[in-house]
Amino acid sequence: MAKTGVLGLYSDANYAAEAGDGLQRMGISDNDYDFLTGAPYPEGAFGEKESSHRLYVFPFVGALCGLTAGILLTSMTQMAYPLVTGGKPILSLPPMAIVTYEGTMLGAILFTVLGIIFESRLPRPSLGLYDDRITEGYVGVLVECEPEEVDRVEQVLTQAGAEDIKRGKV
Amino acid sequence: MARHPHEAAERTGPPEVHLSDREVMQDLAEKYDAACPKFWLAVAVAGGLFALGVLAFVIRALDVGLSDSSRNEYGYYAAAFAFLIVTATTAPLAAIAFRWTKNHWRRPFSRAAELFSLVGILAVLAFIPMLIVLPGIDLNGDGVLELGKDRRTIWFSAPIGAPIWWDMAGLIGVVVCGLALLWVSARPDMAQIAQVSNGLRARVMGRLACGWQGTVRDWNVQKGQMAILGAFYFMLLVWVHTLISLDFALSLIPGWRDSIFAAHHVLTGIQASAGLLIVVLFLMKKVGGYDRYIGVDPFWSFAKVLLGVTLLWGYFWFSEFMTFWYGRDETEQTVIKLLMVESYRTAFLLNLFFSFFIPFVLLLWNGVRKSVLGPTVAGASVIIGAFFMMVRLYVPAFNIKDVGAESIAEFEAAHGGTAAQLLPVLPGPLDVLMVVGMMAGAAFIFLLGTRLIPIMSAWEMKEGLMYVLYRPFMKGKYLVLGKPE
Repeated sequence: MAKTGVLGLYSDANYAAEAGDGLQRMGISDNDYDFLTGAPYPEGAFGEKESSHRLYVFPFVGALCGLTAGILLTSMTQMAYPLVTGGKPILSLPPMAIVTYEGTMLGAILFTVLGIIFESRLPRPSLGLYDDRITEGYVGVLVECEPEEVDRVEQVLTQAGAEDIKRGKV
Repeated sequence: MARHPHEAAERTGPPEVHLSDREVMQDLAEKYDAACPKFWLAVAVAGGLFALGVLAFVIRALDVGLSDSSRNEYGYYAAAFAFLIVTATTAPLAAIAFRWTKNHWRRPFSRAAELFSLVGILAVLAFIPMLIVLPGIDLNGDGVLELGKDRRTIWFSAPIGAPIWWDMAGLIGVVVCGLALLWVSARPDMAQIAQVSNGLRARVMGRLACGWQGTVRDWNVQKGQMAILGAFYFMLLVWVHTLISLDFALSLIPGWRDSIFAAHHVLTGIQASAGLLIVVLFLMKKVGGYDRYIGVDPFWSFAKVLLGVTLLWGYFWFSEFMTFWYGRDETEQTVIKLLMVESYRTAFLLNLFFSFFIPFVLLLWNGVRKSVLGPTVAGASVIIGAFFMMVRLYVPAFNIKDVGAESIAEFEAAHGGTAAQLLPVLPGPLDVLMVVGMMAGAAFIFLLGTRLIPIMSAWEMKEGLMYVLYRPFMKGKYLVLGKPE
């Protein structure tokens, strides 16, 4: 059965953190609730789990591809057209470094852009459960739960001091 | 703890720190929505001058053509383009660097710095004619690169597409990276504007925000994205400075060898973009209505950075100069005469005066640094200085026809003992229009950009308010700043 979203709104961030504690005590997995804020809070301020992402992998892969392409392009060009310039070796590292550096950078940037799209979970067709007051400083506690758990979740959120509660699709 | 700046408070007013998120959001949204007539007048003037610049370029291109043989007609165009690179394209670096170092005082101008990424689109378009007039490497087309017959470049082994496609790819890479950085940074604000606006703006902002919710993961991923894009922007921007300075200035002047020229070009970019951002900050405070968010702190702090960079600029220039001066090689002497003491003496003196003497003498004094006007005047000065530097570098480089020669010292002297190719080129009316048009185009794009994306980052200002407050301590009131990590 599709999960239901419940959004509790708090004017005080401390109450939102308490709501997180209450949800944990209720047995809601920390993968099933999140905190919505209009500005970034310090990591761990709500006692939330450490969120991870693999964004750093993308530029490394891109850089590696770019570097490889750069090395291949320069070395193969110079082997195919072996022109001795200024008495330097055919495969001279400084001129190869120019192209490989740029190739590495371009590869890294291209893959970073792909990584941004992937890690931001784009495209997101809809905004999901939200409230305008979050932009004005309220903190939202967004819970994804089974339909039969909704009443209990709402009770926990209210007990923690939620000023308003909304239901909807996550 | 820093002492509450009473003296500065009388002169400039400290930023307000007791604002709620709601107040910040409403205030910034109002400023974003309502543009005054003066703003639209500025847009119209910039747009008009930009159009005139484009027209001047078209007239010039129809008149003399657009090829290697007419390169000398585009010296001022090249200088204006290089000026665009050292100012607007370098400006996002300030947002990146001060975000890395977790400076609070960067918050009011971070977005303004990132908005200059939009000007990169103009830079890419303006770069196309530059690439068309750039001479090839193998000048005689015999498939062999020989000293004295072909052009000396960094494209030593002439890989496929060098230098044109590699130069363009580098610039496009920087622009794409800058635009991605701007989007990543502005996404939370776009989502929030979509929430508080109506109609077309809400729909456009909603689309651009791509479902931003502000979850803990959203913020963490955004932080990582900004860090990575920032690092690559920095690494590639330095590279683009190097490519442009070497391909469009140094390698067009036969015999000019200078190991720190590219680094000096980058440094000039850092200095000029810092100056540009101080001036933009001043305008935001005095004209834009953002006075309550901008105290003296960003000016004071930026002034220290500008002073350091200015001293470094002076050191770099002198290092460049003394190597040539002591070398006493005929080519080196001719290069000094061309770029500094004879042909382009006026531009050089203006460059030295505005890039070094004025900011150095002004920012030497703490009272001037700790003010709004002092750093702004110094900032405006380094922008002017950077422009004259680009003129004295790119105009003579583009005026040299015989780029395959071994040395400019070999050019046959004609007029008053100076070779014709080394004589100063004064700007004509079309040159002036092209230069003004390029700058106006940058201003036009930037101003329009502020109608799309707020010039002040709401989420960063709100984040900053979480970490700052004035607290009484004994008989004084002190600013307490927190750092999240």
